[in-house]
Order: sequence, then C-alpha cells, then structure tokens
Amino acid sequence: MQGRKFDQNIEISVRGLKKSFGENKVLNGIDFDLYDGEKVVVLGPSGSGKSTFLRCINRLEEPTSGEVFFENTLISDTNVREMRAKIGMVFQHFNLINNLTVMENLTLAPVKLKKFSEDEASKKARGLLKHIGLSAKADAYPASLSGGQKQRVAIIRALMMDPEVLLFDEPTSALDPESIGDVLDLIHEVVDKGMTTMIVTHEMNFAREIASRVVFIDHGRIIEEGEPAEFFSRPKTPRVKEFLDKVL
Amino acid sequence: MGFFEKLVELFSTPEYIDSLLHGFLLTIEISFFAVLIGFILGLIIALIETGKHKWLLPLKFICRVYVTIIRGTPMALQLFIMFFVIFAIRDFPQIVTAILAFAFNSAAYTSEIIRGGILSVDAGQTEAGLALGLSNFTIFRKIVAPQAFKNIIPSLGNEIITVIKETAIVSMVGMYDLNMAAKDIGSGQNMASYVVPMFVAALFYLAVVYLISFAIKRVEKRMRRSDARA
Repeated sequence: MQGRKFDQNIEISVRGLKKSFGENKVLNGIDFDLYDGEKVVVLGPSGSGKSTFLRCINRLEEPTSGEVFFENTLISDTNVREMRAKIGMVFQHFNLINNLTVMENLTLAPVKLKKFSEDEASKKARGLLKHIGLSAKADAYPASLSGGQKQRVAIIRALMMDPEVLLFDEPTSALDPESIGDVLDLIHEVVDKGMTTMIVTHEMNFAREIASRVVFIDHGRIIEEGEPAEFFSRPKTPRVKEFLDKVL
Repeated sequence: MGFFEKLVELFSTPEYIDSLLHGFLLTIEISFFAVLIGFILGLIIALIETGKHKWLLPLKFICRVYVTIIRGTPMALQLFIMFFVIFAIRDFPQIVTAILAFAFNSAAYTSEIIRGGILSVDAGQTEAGLALGLSNFTIFRKIVAPQAFKNIIPSLGNEIITVIKETAIVSMVGMYDLNMAAKDIGSGQNMASYVVPMFVAALFYLAVVYLISFAIKRVEKRMRRSDARA
C-alpha cells in the first residue's frame, strides 16, 4: 500500500478486506473504491457477503484483515466514531431505538455529538418529518409505527447527521410489499439529491434505475462490476448470467 | 384466653408494640441497604460479564467463581461465615455484617438478572447507536440500560421480596429483627403463646411485600409506555 496516491474525490476505499466468522470465510479479499456522488448497488446471492462487506466499512463488523479508508484516512480504533458520524447507515430491521420517541431518535446523535444544538436539531427533525408526512408521529414511540414508517424515519435519522456517505443494508427486505414503494421513493429522492450511496438490495428494478455502478459479490469476492445498463443486459461472467436469469 | 384476646393484649401492651416495631425497623434497615448495595455490586458484576474488552477476562473469571459459590451455598451458612469468620471482630456493628452478608448474596442473583436483561436487548439497538457514532457509554445509558431495566423489573422485584423475607434468618445469630421479636414476645411469661405474635409478624412481612409488589407494578406500567402500539 506504500506510496498509493488517492484521488481527492474518493469517499471510501477498501483494500484487501477479509472477514471470517470462525472457520467460515465470508469475505475473501475485497478491493473497492467509492467515488464522490456514486450510487453503487451491491448485488449477489444470499450468503455471498454483501451485508458483511457493508458492515465492515463502518466497523460494525471488525475486519479480520484489510484496510478501510474514509476520505483518505485509515479508519482506526481511535477515529472510528468520528468516521461513523459521517457515514450514515440504514438497516434491514430499521433499528429505531425502542425506548425513545421518533423525535428523540432523530435528535439523540446530532445533539450528543454536538453537531447541532437541541433547538436546531429538533427544527431540522420537524422539517424532515414533515417532508415524509409523519409530523404527527413526532412524539410517538417506534412500536406504534408501521414497518414502512419506521424505515422512512430511520432514513431521515441517518440524514440528520448530514452524512458524506449513506449505506443501505437491504432497506426493503423486511417490509410488506405495500410499504416498499414508499421507502424506495424516499431513497430515490435522497440519491437524486446527490448523496453518495451504497445499497445492498434484492430489488433488481430499483437497482437498475438508481445505480451508477453495480457490484456483484459471490463467495466473498467482487466478481463483476459495471454500469447497470451493461451489467444487466450484457453480463460478462457466467455466474452473473446465471444469477440474472434466476432473479429477473 | 383465645386468639382474639391475645391479639388485643399484644396491641395494647406498649412493650410488645415496641418490640415488634423495633424488630420491624431492623428488618427494613437490613433489607433496604442489602438490596441497594446488592444492586450496585450486581450491576458491576453484570457489566464485567457482558463487557467485550479482552482485559476483562480475569475479572470475568473471578465474577463467575463468585456467583457460582454464592448461588451454590446456603444463605444461612454465608451469614454464619460473615459473622463468625470474616467479621468476627469485637465490637464490629452486627447490622453492618448482616447488611453485607445479604448484599453479597443478593449481588450474585441480581448480577444474573441484570446480565440477562442486558443480553435481552436486541443487538440492532446497539448497532444503531454505533452507526450514528455514539460512544459505548451513551449507548448503554440512553439505549441499552433503559430497555434492559424495563425487561428485568419483575425479576428485580422478586429479588427484593426474597431478600426481605430471607433477612428473617438473622435471628439465628441473635439479632433482634421482626422474626426474633415475634419469638421473643411469644416466649414471654405474659403472652405465653407463639401463635399471635407470629401471626402479627407474618402480617407485617406480608404488608411490606404487598406494598413493594404494588410499587413495582406501577413502575413496570410506566416503563411499558413505549411498547404501546396505538
């Protein structure tokens, strides 16, 4: 890695990332760069390591080996919290904090991390809630929200921190078909505003629509990547052909 | 004399009332401080046992051994060991020895309750906090602890009740608690009956336990507000 020159506009850079859970090797050496403004969709069969890859970026999983850089800085034990504050994440199971109201979910981190004052944070939160049509739910607890509402709140919770990059880990996989549309619309809107994004998803049509680049992972390796038009219509590897034949 | 005459006699003799209240007060004092110290120690043990740092390993081992020994031996024996071995010091206040004996015992059970509570909180809750850049301390204080506490209120209440009733064995080392007061009054020349004083002592215990159960139900109800789906 010595003497490597980073482009100024690389947001996230992953080098030689490996992750094993005991004997089970989930990631087998991933090299990847995410450029500013990119919308990367990560595809692959289940168990291929897509989610683990995403979770290694903000160190929710500790990589077994390899390095992750955020804006040219190596993410280490000492700066990981600072980095996480700039890398938003949306989870499959929403993970709204159950004992906090919607408003508290939105304002906890920005206020605690001194990004905004209490007033600024709640003003920003009200604005975002209004935008997603959930103003009435500000003082409700997550248990009273539907899955789709929870995920939309989770997305604006990530936005509260004004992140440089937003990671989506199968954001619609736990939703009923009716609310998937609402959530995808909101992600679409966020992405269209220029947010640098990585999305792990099984929604192929959505992937094709929003991706600026598609990355295909199998057995813990990136085996093909390219522009969506190219990727979906003229896959280069037999593995991707086989995958697309099954899912499309 | 029948039961009711004896009952009237007990409540109309200031000496008996004094003895009962005196004993009752000691029971409450021991229980209160034992539960309090037991909770703090139990919390510390639970935090060590659920901690992730490698340097906690030797401490974890010590905690495991401690919990195993306390849970594996009779409370009465632990009380004797505290009185006749560890704190066999002339003029050392008996009440302190008793409080510590029950606190050390309760800590082992409480640590298991708290540990279970912490583990019952979904990992996704912690991950949400981590992903936002919050510190482990903030995540514990604002997210994990409130949810864990809510989940363990019934078990904690049970533990408090157990301690209160178990303190009755301090009469075995000659301390004048509620249980001892009942025995003392009953064996007196005037009363010469165990039935009535013990019946009254039982009512005292029952009243306290009932009050505490009631208070715990209230707290539980308050904490469950966030579960409402409406």
